Amino acid sequence: MRGSYWVRKLASLAATLYATVSFNFLLFHVLPGNPVQLLARSGHYDAAARRQLVALFELNHSLLDQYVIYLNNTLHGNLGFSYVYREPVTTVLGSAIGNTLLLVGTATFITVVVGVWLGVVAASRANSLTDATVSVTSLSLWSMPDFFTGMILIFVCGVWIHVLPISGIESSGLASGGLAHVLDIARHLVLPATTLVLVNAAEFSLITRNSLVDTLVEDYVLTARAKGVSRRAIVWRHALRNALLPIVTATALYVGMVLGGAIQVETVFSWPGMGLLIYNAVEQRDYPVLEASFLIFAIAVIVTNFASDVLYRLLDPRVRRT
Amino acid sequence: MDAQHEPVSTSAITRRRFLAASAATAGSVGLATLAETSTSAAASATLRVGWTTPPDVMNPFTFATTASNEILWLIYDTLLEYDIDLNPEPGLATRQSISADGKTFTYSLQPKARWHDGRPVTAADVQYTFEVTAKHNLGQAAWALADYASSQVINDHTIVIRYKAPQAFDPAMLIAIVPQHIFGPMSPSKILSYNNPHPIGSGPFMFNKWVTGQYVQVNRNPHWWGQAPKASSIIWNQYDNSDVMVQALVAGQLDILTEVPPVLFDSLTGKSNVKPVEMESFSFHHIGFNVSRNPKSKGNRLLLDPTIRRALAYSLDREQLVALALAGRGIPASVQLPPSFGAWQEKIPADQQFNNNPGKARRLLDAAGYKVGSGGVRTDRHGAPLSFRLIAIQTTDEDVLAGQIFVKAAEAVGIKLTLDTLDNTTLGNVVYNAAAPNWDIFIWGWDSASPDPDYLLSVDLTSQIGGNNDVFYSNPTYDRIYAQQAVQMNLARRRTLVHELQKIFYDDAAYCIMWYQSKLQAYRTDTWKGWRPTRGGMVYNFTRDNYLSVKPQ
Repeated sequence: MRGSYWVRKLASLAATLYATVSFNFLLFHVLPGNPVQLLARSGHYDAAARRQLVALFELNHSLLDQYVIYLNNTLHGNLGFSYVYREPVTTVLGSAIGNTLLLVGTATFITVVVGVWLGVVAASRANSLTDATVSVTSLSLWSMPDFFTGMILIFVCGVWIHVLPISGIESSGLASGGLAHVLDIARHLVLPATTLVLVNAAEFSLITRNSLVDTLVEDYVLTARAKGVSRRAIVWRHALRNALLPIVTATALYVGMVLGGAIQVETVFSWPGMGLLIYNAVEQRDYPVLEASFLIFAIAVIVTNFASDVLYRLLDPRVRRT
Repeated sequence: MDAQHEPVSTSAITRRRFLAASAATAGSVGLATLAETSTSAAASATLRVGWTTPPDVMNPFTFATTASNEILWLIYDTLLEYDIDLNPEPGLATRQSISADGKTFTYSLQPKARWHDGRPVTAADVQYTFEVTAKHNLGQAAWALADYASSQVINDHTIVIRYKAPQAFDPAMLIAIVPQHIFGPMSPSKILSYNNPHPIGSGPFMFNKWVTGQYVQVNRNPHWWGQAPKASSIIWNQYDNSDVMVQALVAGQLDILTEVPPVLFDSLTGKSNVKPVEMESFSFHHIGFNVSRNPKSKGNRLLLDPTIRRALAYSLDREQLVALALAGRGIPASVQLPPSFGAWQEKIPADQQFNNNPGKARRLLDAAGYKVGSGGVRTDRHGAPLSFRLIAIQTTDEDVLAGQIFVKAAEAVGIKLTLDTLDNTTLGNVVYNAAAPNWDIFIWGWDSASPDPDYLLSVDLTSQIGGNNDVFYSNPTYDRIYAQQAVQMNLARRRTLVHELQKIFYDDAAYCIMWYQSKLQAYRTDTWKGWRPTRGGMVYNFTRDNYLSVKPQ
């Protein structure tokens, strides 16, 4: 019974991945225009030079053959060759992924911590002025597009009060490594990360609040209170643990989503991560980079969902029994 | 090294000037540490340039962006360079002689020239570079070596290069000399896929580092053969957003900008320690008519009639276009060569220009039998309406605005235009579908790849159909005279031929050239001194002289 569950789960994971990879390939290969046409018309490339480029990018095969080559390469971790940067896509993506993880990782951690804390504050004073303030503020921030919030921050912090760097990941000309370099990157991280936190913390505060409000009326809470457990201990130790399930699901979904959502924030703040890379790749029709990026996003979403399924089963015995 | 002029290209991979609404769309990365106080550039002697166009590759054989060109051309040398007035001057070599038939060129190399790794630059390196470029069609400069025949190393510092035909334009201006000891062992396909992570050249600056999407830094080469530049480093900072970049200049974090969008240019006037400079460019924007005779063309065949094209050109007021679409930052245009080409430009007398004469347009159409039909739209004899599709790049505000003005102007003479906008790459793919072009009229522009007229004149050759020829224009007379000027060594005679070409192309009206836009740049007056404005721009131009000659304050 248990074994078959995992078999089913993994099979569907593999099928989803295969479908995504294939769709990915088709999506970019049925689009009009090709990179050689784009590159070739920038100079006086003659027919021989064009053929050279076509061969270099392996566009001289039939669509089916290209598909088989693509599948084979992908399976071997070869994500192709960037038309623009003339480097393996894995190299191009390498630093971008690192930068995105730094931004998204930092932002996610703070988002969850701040969001849950605000949710707890609101729930433990349900229907008070504090609750209303937290809910209304989070909802307002949540309803703003993140690029808009980002631009407001740029205006306030960069143009008005000149306190923080508003674009890029590091200052030019600094020596790599060393504390100064790390601090410089940290300073650059503040505004984009704050933008993501401001916009997304609401999701967690609202979920936490609602889930906790429901939990706080449970009988065992009443029992604990009757036993003289402090209000703080009831909320943090007893109720929150039980209210945590929806938060786990939300975090998993959030990570999948925010990778893509960071495109706008990265573009506004010129943060050289996946988002900005994709933006530029679309502009320049760098298909191999696009294919690989979308593949990574898809894998991230599929894997985090899978992980949340698994985590859910571990956390909640009731799920295991069904 | 010729992908020179592409100031605000968003795609950054074609020389076609998609003068996008500014570089706001040119995705890339900035580094506006606006918060940081203005560090004195002079103290560290670092020259800080701001731009919105990201470089692509540091390989002189494969780069396609103007930004890469700008950097590479301080790392590598060409045999001859452009001086500040864009005249040839000795570079890595001095040209000793040109044979009487214009086919044999002799150069002597700078005896002190060394590669950045310390090895001497020899005539064998030059021979290798010319051979591999010509033989394997490597890079954007390969076209200049179409007539390359052979070369002969006389001694370590002397080389003779022979061509099959006379060369009115010396290809030595374009070919960046690369070290044989680095590229020599590579196959052509290896060279094409080589990203050259640490370029080794012989130029005044040595590659230091490239933080992708952030900045590129080069440092002064202490062993350069020429007079040492004053800047100890140059850093090109990338911005995603022109507003942020302009703010960084004002705040003192940058010393010069390669391009300022017209809408931001005026805001710089009167700012303390900032000087905006308007210069002539080597660019124009035009309306292109699909004149393809390919049976598979799905363009409206009525446009094959030059009368209709001329009438459309007559309907437009160029002065109005410049004033409205370009905020006055340019001049009304006629022929392909902008005034920056000086005496090369053909002057069409004002009364002979197809410009701002709707009455003449109506008379031409009436005389050709295009009667006004229902709804004020003219028809041909078979009742087909003079109704055309017009496409422009959605992010290039001035083109879209020009399109809207054009629609009104054409309507006034009885021709219906339907304006549609596309993103720049899509528009490029639509227009350049030489096999079966399915469009009628477009708007975009061109930048010259060199201050020699050859490049802009070559765009509309029959042989460039499938290449640069964006309207599929084909005129055997034009092709023949083009070929004649390319091998004409006598300057005066070549000039006559070049004028003739422009006149022919103008009369055929396959292009309706709207304006020659200005090159807009800005620099700080309190950090570096000695910036010399010149046609084409202080930086981001064919000459690298400003980089070499500016001094810290």
